[in-house]
Amino acid sequence: MRRFTRQELAFFNGEDGAPAYLAHEGVVYDASGSFLWQKGKHQVRHRAGQDLTGALDQAPHGPDVLVRLPIVGVLADEEYRHRLMSAGVS
Amino acid sequence: MAKVAREMVEKSGVKVDELVELLVKNAAAELTTFYYYTILRANLIGLEGEGIKAIAETARIEDRNHFEALVPRIYELGGKLPEDMKVFHDMSACPPASLPKNPKDIRAILEVLVNAERCAVRGYTHICNLTAGKDHRTHALSLAILNEEIEHESWFSEFLGEGPSGHFMRQGETSPFVRPFMA
Repeated sequence: MRRFTRQELAFFNGEDGAPAYLAHEGVVYDASGSFLWQKGKHQVRHRAGQDLTGALDQAPHGPDVLVRLPIVGVLADEEYRHRLMSAGVS
Repeated sequence: MAKVAREMVEKSGVKVDELVELLVKNAAAELTTFYYYTILRANLIGLEGEGIKAIAETARIEDRNHFEALVPRIYELGGKLPEDMKVFHDMSACPPASLPKNPKDIRAILEVLVNAERCAVRGYTHICNLTAGKDHRTHALSLAILNEEIEHESWFSEFLGEGPSGHFMRQGETSPFVRPFMA
């Protein structure tokens, strides 16, 4: 599975034709096809190309909405690496 | 624009331009829902569909009322609606409540209806959270709309067999919560 550094993820911000990727709990999702992520922006306040793990805590929805989005990779972050390894994600 | 009213909201720490953009997006969701629900209602036919038609119509009219109630607040805060209606449609805070591929599938229509309401419930919950204790007028308006959206969700959810809504059908005028805000 593709590994993204945070700097690489920032390129996928949904602007100027770039895909809109977002990360949550170390997993990178492709929100490009979602009506709610047009041009990489979600509900005015959130932008693609970032780790939105913290932002989801304050959202009026849970991470269950992410199941609709294709997974395109994982964050190459020590913070998440051990968690993903124990979940069996290589 | 209500200049001092906007200043008060700014002073309370709310990012007013962001709030206005959210209000415009949700107003777009309401008006587009009013349009798409017209199509859904027209297709609620037959033994299964006829029983849901009245509730879909109540939700449709109340969503239009929500649009009417939001517009003055948008302008009070210094915002405006887009001049191009196509732009307005595409900036909706919620996906279009489009007719399912099989228009005779009443359950599929109900799924569209309940998902549209759930998007609205999340949207107004978010605005209420942003404005609570800070922008009293927007909070009161959003709370009124939220009350009606929650009822809409529960009606459709009940028809899907997800559990009782606790409600009986609306009696009397539509929008018991939002009517005081309508011009």
